[in-house]
Amino acid sequence: MDLTIYHVDAFTDRVFTGNPAAVVPLAEWLPNDQLQAIARENNLGATGFFVPAADDADHDFHIRWFTPSVEIELCGHATLASTAVLMQARGWDRDEIRFRAKAGSLIARKRGALLELNFPAKGRSAGTTPEGLDEALAATVIDYYETPGFKLAVLENEAAVRGARPDPEFLTNTVNAGVIVTAPGDDADCVSRFFAPYIGILEDPVTGSAHCMLVPYWADRLGKTEIHARQISARGGSLHCRVDGDRVLLAGQAVLYMTGIVRVEGGWGARAA
Amino acid sequence: MELTIYQVDAFTDRVFAGNPAAVMPLSEWLPDDVLQAIALENNLSETAFFVPTQDDPNHDFHLRWFTPAIEVDLCGHATLASAAVLYRELGWAHDEIRFKALAGDLIVRRRKDLFELDFPVRAPVAEEPPAGFAEALGTKPVEFYKAKKFMAVLESEAAVKSVQPDMDFIAGMTGDGLIVTARGSAEEGESVDCVSRYFAPHAGIPEDPVTGSAHCTIIPYWAEKLGRKELYVRQISARGGDLYCTLVDDRVLIAGQAVLYMKGIVHVGNGWSVPD
Repeated sequence: MDLTIYHVDAFTDRVFTGNPAAVVPLAEWLPNDQLQAIARENNLGATGFFVPAADDADHDFHIRWFTPSVEIELCGHATLASTAVLMQARGWDRDEIRFRAKAGSLIARKRGALLELNFPAKGRSAGTTPEGLDEALAATVIDYYETPGFKLAVLENEAAVRGARPDPEFLTNTVNAGVIVTAPGDDADCVSRFFAPYIGILEDPVTGSAHCMLVPYWADRLGKTEIHARQISARGGSLHCRVDGDRVLLAGQAVLYMTGIVRVEGGWGARAA
Repeated sequence: MELTIYQVDAFTDRVFAGNPAAVMPLSEWLPDDVLQAIALENNLSETAFFVPTQDDPNHDFHLRWFTPAIEVDLCGHATLASAAVLYRELGWAHDEIRFKALAGDLIVRRRKDLFELDFPVRAPVAEEPPAGFAEALGTKPVEFYKAKKFMAVLESEAAVKSVQPDMDFIAGMTGDGLIVTARGSAEEGESVDCVSRYFAPHAGIPEDPVTGSAHCTIIPYWAEKLGRKELYVRQISARGGDLYCTLVDDRVLIAGQAVLYMKGIVHVGNGWSVPD
């Protein structure tokens, strides 16, 4: 069987930056072990698979995401990449795509040159800065907030965020959650980086889910609802965000790196079945 | 600019097994930073690029390999994958391909559905394992050797399969990683001469799926032990690989199959992006 594969850089308008995802449109679901094997073979942060939602008036596609090792509940950058593939390469001509995922419904909209995803906002509570965190980040943490799965460490300025050097052992053993470091941006409302060594990701290039916590914080602090955020990882990404009640709208661009044909049973060289 | 890319699983005849490599034929060299950016984007252990050699009667192609982080001076599985692409996709019809690489000349020969690499022997020399080695390995090795890589001979295939070495300890050993090996057990009527696994945490690779260069040391050892020069061996990582090896004096011929997983077009510079 042959499948079409797209390798897309999400949350950027320049190839080799942003967060790479593989996108594999399917006519119908393949067995889970085959989806997992494809995602492992692709070896990107996430591979998004989607299937037309037949007999479901409220959704257009079912979408699922696999890392090289597991299926995950929600993945912003691979959803953005899937939306771009549908609109740019698969003839989707409406401005909205209604995805159904395990975590619930996900709406993607085209807004000018941007694709916008609609996520639930994450609340936050003031936390106690763990002793040793400054040393573990090589930075001075001014404020510290928590929400399930995420910690938010506010630093002085963009240079401090850029200079942060995470100690993976400390962030795994002592913090045991994803750590966002953030500060006001030099040419954006805010900048951030995201470290999640507790799940094997030392630093994520661009992270939609982190912005579900980050954007409400900056909206409150700056007293406005529209936030331009840059994630200043080595690859870097740009997110145009809005807070709308208990929702966070994350918009970004996406660029095609590669289109290919995957041979699920193996192309030449494969043992005869 | 558009380039063709192949993703090939080397040292196997089953897709999703073996050692994956990206292979990208070029008509001329691109700047090094572009090659590195492509290899990083591909995010496979190696991306191989090759260019036809001009006015060089001794070589057919100039071959280079990049990991996501750096250019490397030798890579067996991506060379095998490149040879498979040349024979299976690009119409190469000669009995051998003469590559020019950073490390020197590399000849790949086709033997039916096998592609054979020609490597130097790296002979194992017996030595005492470092203090704490058996604890770090979780089992006492039957024998211990050093070549460029360390090699621990274990009691059985089951011991090789189940070993879970302490990566911090292995990373601290002063060599190019650790091979564990044992005699193969016959399964399904197919007799495997030896099995192995290779750990290279010092290079950021906890375990490599299939490792041509490890067999520069594995093969001379088992050839002597078994009294034969031709060996069929398996690397029993999670992905697994099959290698058909021949010891010829101070050379090890390492042959394997290769399977196409994906063929695609890469857009250097941008492909489509979201238009206004």
